[in-house]
Amino acid sequence: MKLNRRSFIKSAAAGSAIAAAGSIFPGISFANWKEQQDPSGQITWKKAPCRFCGTGCGVLVGVSGDRAVAVKGDPNCSVNKGLCCVKGFHVVQALYGKDRLRTAQVRRGGKMVEVPISEALDIIAAKMKETIKQTGKDSVAMYGSGQWTIPDGYVASKLFKGCIGTNNVEANARLCMASAVTGFMTSFGIDEPMGCYEDIEHADVFVTWGNNMAEMHPVLFSRMLASRKRRKNVQIIDLATRSTRSSQASDRSILFKPNTDLAVANAICYEIIRNDWVDWDFVKKHTTFHKGKTNIGYGTEDHFKFKDAPEDISFEEYKEFLSDYTPEKVEKISGVSALEIKYLASLYGDPSKKCTSFWCMGMNQHVRGTWINNLVYNIHLLTGKISTPGNSPFSLTGQPSACGTVREVGTLTHKLPHGVVMKEEHRKMAAEIWDVPLANIDPKPTYHTVEMFRALDRGDIRFIWIQVTNPMITMPNLNRYRNGALKDDRFIVVSDVYPTPTTDVADVILPAAMWVEQEGMFGNSERRTQHFDRIVPGPGETMSDTWQIIEVARRLGYEKQFPWGEDEYIGKIWEEYRRFHDSPKHNMAPYTVLKKRSGVQWPFVDGKETRWRFNSKYDPACKPGSDFDFYGKKDGKAWIWARPYEPAAESPDEEYDFWLNTGRVIEHWHTGTMTRRVPVLHRAVPESYVEIHPEDAMNLGVTNGEMVKIISRRGEVTMKASINGRGNPPRGMVFVPFFDETYKINEVTLDAFCPISKQPDYKKCAVRLEKA
Amino acid sequence: MMNKRAKISTAVVMGFAAVCLSWTVVSMSAQAAPGVQEGFDWSGEKIYNRYNETPLQAMTGTDGTRTLNTFYERRQYPGSPPTIPHKVAKTFSGDTTKCISCHGRGGYDAELDAYAPVTPHPENENCFQCHVPVTTEKLFVETDWESVSPPKLGRSMMGGSPPPVPHSLQLREDCIACHTGPGAVAEIRVEHGSRGNCRQCHVPQVTTTTFERNN
Repeated sequence: MKLNRRSFIKSAAAGSAIAAAGSIFPGISFANWKEQQDPSGQITWKKAPCRFCGTGCGVLVGVSGDRAVAVKGDPNCSVNKGLCCVKGFHVVQALYGKDRLRTAQVRRGGKMVEVPISEALDIIAAKMKETIKQTGKDSVAMYGSGQWTIPDGYVASKLFKGCIGTNNVEANARLCMASAVTGFMTSFGIDEPMGCYEDIEHADVFVTWGNNMAEMHPVLFSRMLASRKRRKNVQIIDLATRSTRSSQASDRSILFKPNTDLAVANAICYEIIRNDWVDWDFVKKHTTFHKGKTNIGYGTEDHFKFKDAPEDISFEEYKEFLSDYTPEKVEKISGVSALEIKYLASLYGDPSKKCTSFWCMGMNQHVRGTWINNLVYNIHLLTGKISTPGNSPFSLTGQPSACGTVREVGTLTHKLPHGVVMKEEHRKMAAEIWDVPLANIDPKPTYHTVEMFRALDRGDIRFIWIQVTNPMITMPNLNRYRNGALKDDRFIVVSDVYPTPTTDVADVILPAAMWVEQEGMFGNSERRTQHFDRIVPGPGETMSDTWQIIEVARRLGYEKQFPWGEDEYIGKIWEEYRRFHDSPKHNMAPYTVLKKRSGVQWPFVDGKETRWRFNSKYDPACKPGSDFDFYGKKDGKAWIWARPYEPAAESPDEEYDFWLNTGRVIEHWHTGTMTRRVPVLHRAVPESYVEIHPEDAMNLGVTNGEMVKIISRRGEVTMKASINGRGNPPRGMVFVPFFDETYKINEVTLDAFCPISKQPDYKKCAVRLEKA
Repeated sequence: MMNKRAKISTAVVMGFAAVCLSWTVVSMSAQAAPGVQEGFDWSGEKIYNRYNETPLQAMTGTDGTRTLNTFYERRQYPGSPPTIPHKVAKTFSGDTTKCISCHGRGGYDAELDAYAPVTPHPENENCFQCHVPVTTEKLFVETDWESVSPPKLGRSMMGGSPPPVPHSLQLREDCIACHTGPGAVAEIRVEHGSRGNCRQCHVPQVTTTTFERNN
C-alpha cells in the first residue's frame, strides 16, 4: 500500500485541522472564486432558456446584486426538467470574460479606435446611405444568426426587406438547418417537427442518423438513456460515419461510408416494401409519390443556380426506383452489411415498435441534405410511424433560436415572417403589417449565405452587417471569404460580445448586450418559444442587437416603422410579429403568457399547446374527422420522394486520400467565443485536435499528441493528433472539432452545398496528411 | 482499476466481517461451557494479518483530504457540477460501469489512495454531460467571474438545534450520499449517520424572510 502510517497521520491531522477551523469559525469559506461583497448572500432565481444549443433547456439564473452568480436547471421546463449539461450549468460565466467588448470601435487609419456608440451608429447609417446611393440597395447586406433573439431577426427583416427593399438578409442557420427546412417543405409543405421531446418517453427504438447526441444534445440523450433504463426493450441504434460517445452508449453502432446514408435509407424502404411492412391504410390515405431532378451538382462555382422540377410518380414506379437499392447492392456502396440493413428495416417495419429517428448536422450539412431528410421521412411515412407519441422523425437544431428567429421569422433571402417574397399575397401581408408600400418588398431573392460571401468577395456587396455570429471561423473554404472581407471598399460592421476573428476584419464593432442582459425570446427544436427578461445589466455601452438595428433604422428615416420606447419594445415587437402567424397552423402565444411560462409550444390554439402536429387527436388545425392531415400540402398528403444516392462533391483520391469530417465537442459551443471564456470548459478542452485511426497514425508515423498537417486543395492546418481519444474515425477519415480559432479547419473545408437548401457540407472533403 | 478496487473493497468487507465474527465467537466462548472445540481460538492470527494488510484509511473511515476547501475549489459557484479531479478514460460514454462503479456506492480506491465520494444522483448516467476533467489550469482569457460565498456552516438557530439545509435539493436530494461515510467532506460529515430520516430534523431553507400577516 502506498500510504504508510506517517503520511496518513499527517493528512488526517491536516483534515481535522480544517474540520476544526470550520467548527470554530462557522461560516469560514474556502471558495476558489472571487467572492462577491454583497452582504445579503441571498440569491434570487429567474428563468431563461440556456444561451447555447437548440435543445432549449430551461435554466434558472441565480442573481445577487446586479450579477449572475449561479445556475440551476429549471424544474418547470419540460425540456430538461431541472438537469442541464456542463455548458448550461456554467452558462452565466460566459458573461464575464475579461475581454468583453464594452465600447464601440471604428477603424481609423487602419487602427480600431474607441468611440461613443451613438457615433458608431451614425457612421453605420451614413455608410449604408452612401453605399445604397452609389451601388444600389442590393449592395448592402445583413448576416445574422440562429442566436439572434426573435426580436433581433424580426427588426432586421423589417428594416432590410420592408424598408430598404433588399432581400440581402441571411443568417448562419443557413449553415446548420437549411436542409432540414427544405426537407420539411418538400415532404410536408410546412416547416418544423411534427413531434416533440415527449416522444423520447414513448419510443421503443431510437435511430440516431449521423448525430452524436451524447455530446451535442446531451440533455435529450440522457432522457433517452433514462427511458431505456426505465422501460425494457428500448433500443438505441447509432448510424454514423465515425465512432463516438453516442456509439458507445448505443445498443448497436453501425458505420457507413460518407454520403451513403442516401443508399442506406433507400435500402431500408426497399426491405419494408419487400417484406410488406408498409402501413397501406396510412400510405393510401395520406401520401403521394414523387421524383425530382438528379445529378443536381454541388454549387462550388459562383452564380450556381438550381431549381427542382417535381413530377408525380406511381407507387409501382417508386418500387421500381428502389430496385437499385437492395441490401446486397447497398452493402457494396455503403459498407453497411446487408444483414444490418435488414435488421434496421425490421425495427422500422415492426408494427409493434414505436420508432423515433434523430438527426442534426450529419444529415443537414450534406451535399444532398434535402434528399436525405426526404428519405428518412419516407421510412416513417411508409410505415405510418409519424405524428403519434413515440413515432417521430425528429430533426434537431444546433442553435438556441435557429427555429425561432431564422425559420419562423424567416431571416433568409427568400423568406418573410409568413411565406416567401416570391408570392404576392405574402408580400401584401408583410407590407400591411410593416406599414410599408407593397412595392418596397422585392419579389426576387438575392443571395444565400455562401453566395452572399462570394458577392462580398466579388464586390457585388459592399456593406455587410454581421450580428451574433463568427463567419471568419465558420465559412467553409474560409481563405477566399476572409480575403474577400478584407478587400478595400468593403465595409464590415460586426456586433458581438467578445473579440473574434470576425471582429478582426471589422470596420465598426458594436458592443452587444448578451443573453439575459436584454429581454428577448428564443425558439427551440420542438416549436417552443422561450421568453427571458433582462436579468442583469450589460457592461459599458453594450446595447441589444434589436436596439442597434432600431437606432440605425431611425437614422435612415424609418421612425414610423420603429416607433417603440426602450422600456416596451420587446413586447410591442412580439405582438406585431405574432400577427404574421395568426392561424391554427402556427399561432404563437401572447406576450403575457410567454413571460409567465418556461416556454410555450406553437401552434398555441385556444390557450393550448400542440404537441403532435398533423394528428387530429392533438392538432386542432387538422380537418375535422380526419385522422391525419398533412395540411402543409394542398391535398393534405405528405410526399414520398424517389431520391437516388449520389456521391459527395469531393471524395478521397490518390493525391488527397483521406476524408475530413468536422464537428463539435460537448464542452465547446460553435466557435468557442463564449465557451472558451468559461473556465471549466476551457480547462477541460483547451485546444482542438485531429482524431485519427490508430493504424493510419501508425502508417503516418505519429503518436498521440504529435503534430499532423492536414492539407486540402484549399488550405492546410497543423495540429495535434488524437489517437483512441474521445471519438474514433474509421480508417481513411480524420475528424477535427472546429471551435478553435488557432486551427481554422474551415480553411481546409470545401464550399460545396446542397443545391436545394444551399447548406454547405462540412462533413466531407478530401485531404492528405503529413507528419509535421 | 475497477477490478483492483473491487477486490480491495471485498477484502475490506471480509476483514471487517472477520473482526466482528471473531469477537462474537470470543465473547460467546467466554460464557460457553467446557467442551468447545479445541483450538477454536487459534485463528486469531488471521485478524492481525488482515489488520496489517488493510490500509489504515479503509479501517478508520476518513482520509481527511476531502475538505470544504477542495470541495469548493472544484466548483464555480455553490451548487455547480464539480470537475473531475483524477484521470479518466476519454472514451467514456454511457457505459455505466465506469464512473458509477466507484461513485455509485463509494469505497476506497487504492490507486487514487482515496475514498470515492458518492453521487447523490446515480440515476443520471451520462456523467460527462455535466462533469468534465481538467486538462490545463491556464485560461483562454482571464475572467471577471465572481459568485456568492458558500453557505455558512453551523447555522443552528439555537445552540445545538438541527441546522436547516442551506442548499437547493435539486440533484442533491440524497443527504446520505454526501453527508455520511468515509468519502464525505470532513466538515459536513454528520456524526449520526445511522439515522435515515434526515428531513425529520433538517429542513430546506428557501427564504430568509419572516412570517408576516397580510390582513
